Amino acid sequence: MPFPLRRTLLACLLALPASAQPHQGGTLKLVAASAAGTIDPQVNYTEQYAQIFAISYDGLVTFAKTSGPASDDIVPDLATTIPTPRDGGKTYVFTLRKGIKFANGATVTPDDVAASMTRLFKVDNPNAGSWYADFVGAAACLATPATCTLAGGVIADDKAGTITFHLTHPNAEFLDQLAFPFAGILPADAPAKDVGTIPIPGTGAYQIVSYDPQKNLIVKRNPYFRQWSAIAQPAGHVDEIDYTFGVTDENEITAVENNQYDYEFDPPPADRLAEMSMRYAGQIHVEPLFAIYYAPMNVNIPPFNNKDARLAVNFALDRAAAVNIFGGRNLAVPNCQVLPPGFPGYQPYCPYTLNPGTKWSAPDLAKAKALMAASGQTGQRVTVIADDYGVDPALGTYLASVLNSIGFVATTHILSANIQFTYIQNTNNKVQISVTPWFDDYPAASDFLNVLLSCSSFHPGSDSSINIAGYCNKTYDAAVAAALQRAITDPAAANAAWAKIDRMATDAAPWATMFTPRNLDFVSRRLGNYTYSNQYHLLYDQVWVQ
Amino acid sequence: MAAAALLAAIVLACLLAPLYAADIAGTDPFASNLDGTITLAGQPVEIMQSAATGFGVTPIGPTWHAQYFLGADDQGRDVAARLLYGGRTSLLIAAGATLICLSGAALVGVIAGFAGGIVDTILARALDILWAFPVYLLAISLSAVLISHGLQLGPVSINADSLLIPIAIIGIVYIPYVARPIRGQVIGLAQSDFVLAARCLGIPRPRILLRDILPNIATTLIVFAPLMLALNMLTEAALSFLTIGVQPPAASWGTIILDGEGLLYTRPMVAIAPGIAIALTVVALNFLGDGIREAFDPRAKLRINK
Amino acid sequence: MIALVLLRRLGEMVFVLFSISVLVFLIFFATPGADPAARLAGRGASPATLAAVRHAFGLDRPLPVQYALMMRHLFITQDLTSFVNPGQRVVPALLQAVPVTLSLVLGAAVIWLVLAVLVGVTAAACRDTIVDRALMFLSLLGVSIPVFWLGEVANLITQARFHDTWAFSWVPALGYVPLTQDPLGWFKSLVIPWLVLAVTYVGLYARILRANLVDAMTEDYIRTARAKGLSERQIILRHALRMSLITIVSMFGLDFGALVGGGALLIEVVSSLPGVGMLTYQALQNLDLPFIMAAVLYGAVFIVAANTAVDMLYTLLDPRTRPTR
Repeated sequence: MPFPLRRTLLACLLALPASAQPHQGGTLKLVAASAAGTIDPQVNYTEQYAQIFAISYDGLVTFAKTSGPASDDIVPDLATTIPTPRDGGKTYVFTLRKGIKFANGATVTPDDVAASMTRLFKVDNPNAGSWYADFVGAAACLATPATCTLAGGVIADDKAGTITFHLTHPNAEFLDQLAFPFAGILPADAPAKDVGTIPIPGTGAYQIVSYDPQKNLIVKRNPYFRQWSAIAQPAGHVDEIDYTFGVTDENEITAVENNQYDYEFDPPPADRLAEMSMRYAGQIHVEPLFAIYYAPMNVNIPPFNNKDARLAVNFALDRAAAVNIFGGRNLAVPNCQVLPPGFPGYQPYCPYTLNPGTKWSAPDLAKAKALMAASGQTGQRVTVIADDYGVDPALGTYLASVLNSIGFVATTHILSANIQFTYIQNTNNKVQISVTPWFDDYPAASDFLNVLLSCSSFHPGSDSSINIAGYCNKTYDAAVAAALQRAITDPAAANAAWAKIDRMATDAAPWATMFTPRNLDFVSRRLGNYTYSNQYHLLYDQVWVQ
Repeated sequence: MAAAALLAAIVLACLLAPLYAADIAGTDPFASNLDGTITLAGQPVEIMQSAATGFGVTPIGPTWHAQYFLGADDQGRDVAARLLYGGRTSLLIAAGATLICLSGAALVGVIAGFAGGIVDTILARALDILWAFPVYLLAISLSAVLISHGLQLGPVSINADSLLIPIAIIGIVYIPYVARPIRGQVIGLAQSDFVLAARCLGIPRPRILLRDILPNIATTLIVFAPLMLALNMLTEAALSFLTIGVQPPAASWGTIILDGEGLLYTRPMVAIAPGIAIALTVVALNFLGDGIREAFDPRAKLRINK
Repeated sequence: MIALVLLRRLGEMVFVLFSISVLVFLIFFATPGADPAARLAGRGASPATLAAVRHAFGLDRPLPVQYALMMRHLFITQDLTSFVNPGQRVVPALLQAVPVTLSLVLGAAVIWLVLAVLVGVTAAACRDTIVDRALMFLSLLGVSIPVFWLGEVANLITQARFHDTWAFSWVPALGYVPLTQDPLGWFKSLVIPWLVLAVTYVGLYARILRANLVDAMTEDYIRTARAKGLSERQIILRHALRMSLITIVSMFGLDFGALVGGGALLIEVVSSLPGVGMLTYQALQNLDLPFIMAAVLYGAVFIVAANTAVDMLYTLLDPRTRPTR
């Protein structure tokens, strides 16, 4: 090109600001039908806010912020390395990174770590009595949370910059539980009660600035953040995240189609899927989900205290129809067992189909009717309890229809999603059968097989009895305990044991598992670098908007 | 009158719902039919059609034939058959609620107006309280409670999915609406000359009630009847739309509109048809109400004679 | 004299509100699944955790004590917080929703009053002609259409089917835009809900206005006016209308009170407008008792105040309705 033009071009290039990197800046606009409760990361147990906590807080360790199977890996975060357990697996010594600051400017010290662990008990964290109960001193903390010190359990050494954990017995899932947002490190002076709507400063790349559950949640950059590990806590591209609440699911889809929001959290309504996939195919992302949709049956009250009746339901259920209700074969996979495909310990198994084996093919109505005749439960009244979120009412209605077709007299009750989950857990409500999903907390088979089906998860008369079916079997519990023990030393053998336990649970049929859903994310045209982690799903600190 | 004829036609059509479902449509409108097929123009057509992209499943639209005349809903059920069954439920609930409302209002209004004194004060206050409670909120509150667990009144136990619950709730919520005018009318009558004359003559109060008061409020009740039928029908539709009226698998026009809301973008007929049905029925009821009012309201008679 | 009457009505109002608050409290404590401890504690909480949360929120105290505590939080200390979103204050959230409902109801009211007067007067002036019959039929139709269904159909037309055409491309996504933030957006987001809400009330008011006008036309003073030589139009507009407006105004007072107090909930839910009605509906769905209590009391205040105002209006204007007992 002519000489003067080259000089002008050069001048133009040199005039660009040195910090103009592509894709930096902008505001990510998120939308959801409703807020998800408190923004206290040690109390909130929802996926919706876990995505926010992942970019605002850090634990000693965390799940890798990347996509694919690597997103199941645990990487050091505020700790310098992942320690090897000592003392037969009962002691872990973490070395704290230096120079990391909270969003209020204070530097993180081992004291903050110890205080965060005791705070778990002070704010009545939902899993304080299960996950974190094997810290030394946890028993006292559970008894009197207000005076919790965990002395002997979590020891902070400010001079050496280390935190030492002492457990009462080895725990194969200790690191997973520390990587979970519950164990995010908060300032030692954070209030010792559920903060509700007041943000707590964190160490993440972003910080929650304001929260009005009726309107929105605003997240901005943490001014004191300096990236120390791109895989644990990347600096992120967008400068601000605006999360709006109160838009119904139909309107969310329309709004994203019109590029008024970048991402909507709720599952798209079933009637928009065809339109979305035909006109906006490039903006749809389907990713695997370690979850199941299932219908727990109360094994302690009629009619499902009769095993033949439960088996009949399993044989009669047309899982392909349920998949279609959820959105079609691209969005869900029929599932007969407890664990979802791809999960540690999963081996395909389906006895409840026309040709029992490893895969579900079709319902076996003849077998179902024969089992019903044997059970003597024909004509029994049954109520199916479903919530009003997404396709759950349709699944509940369909389930009632299946029950009617094999001889029950079934109706459906739709309850608000906000109360249905606790309602179906409380045995006082005499719920016979319900429809509910279960999503994994972290990739470990015990999260399904132990948490959902062991005797210790069954609390009659309580709103919190996650073993909804009320299944309590000593042989099963013994197998589970053995597998948990095995996992400490030999994960591969433990997974083989979990597979056997999966079959045991499936054969007992406390549930009718329907399908394993896939995660569908619908994003705007301008959103780039869509990154999906198995743990946190859409990673807000990886996407860009310009 | 055309209105009465229309109303009769609607009621008849709804009553014949089982006939339509069994013989004409050949379907069970309460059973999900997600993998069925029907034959259209000699070709088998799936009721729930998967999109070519594999995302989403769409029910068939109106076929304008005997089977699936208005198409299918998201459970693969025949919308036209459900519409007729839904009409039965909606009409039944409206009629039942109106019965409860009018009899309750008559009872309260007559007792309050006739007894006077402290009884009147208490009842009037109770009506005020009930009426000050925003109507929909009261209905929704009661539904939320009763639909969760049903009702246990001593030996009487009502199932949570019984139609008696929406009937009772809607009926009770509108009692103040009718009771206040009735009470006003009874008070006026109790102070009127001919009642005072009867009292002077020593005629016992129960006879005055029966001979003079009740016939007069009877006309008021008759005038109110079509209006309350219309109002109750609309309220039931609203409650069912909010998921706290009729519970599935029973259908009412309100629940079908709710089903249609989830199909609004692809199969709008599911939402449009029941709305039109409600509008037609309520228009007919309102016309009927106009006619009855003209026939029964004595002041109206006077106007005509002038 | 007036002050005494006002005072008495105020006393009655307080009594009614108190009764309603007790009623709400009782209804919701009878509801199974209403125990908020599990929702406050978070998913999967242990029984010990639940007991601790229950104690922290005072949920293990006897009912009258809980009622008194709630009333104190609501009225005296004004820090009543939600059961579903811990830490969220109920009263500010409710007050934030009020402008939305007011915008919706006032805008719709302007439309329906103007239209009702037009339709009613025209129908009365052309009474017993085809124009009258057509207008009255349309009015009847408007009253007979379920408002939530009409809203859904409006959404179908403006958001889905014809959104991309010139007719409706200006319609924004469903939701509310505050007036102070963007007046044009505020207007655009409310036009369709205004029209839907107005349709259901125009018919009612037009019919009643026409009936009152026709009634008034047979009165003696109208005959006098006609004898004096006034034109039909002048008669209707100057004389008959004024008397008929009393009924309209009192009806409007009652309807406005009910709507602003949360009666607009159906149209708010269908149009995604975060007003008092929507808030109340969500609170009821979630069994969020503090919100329910505040919302129901707020609605009741409006209804009772509107009732009182209309009663007083009648008393002032029509001596026959003054209490004789």
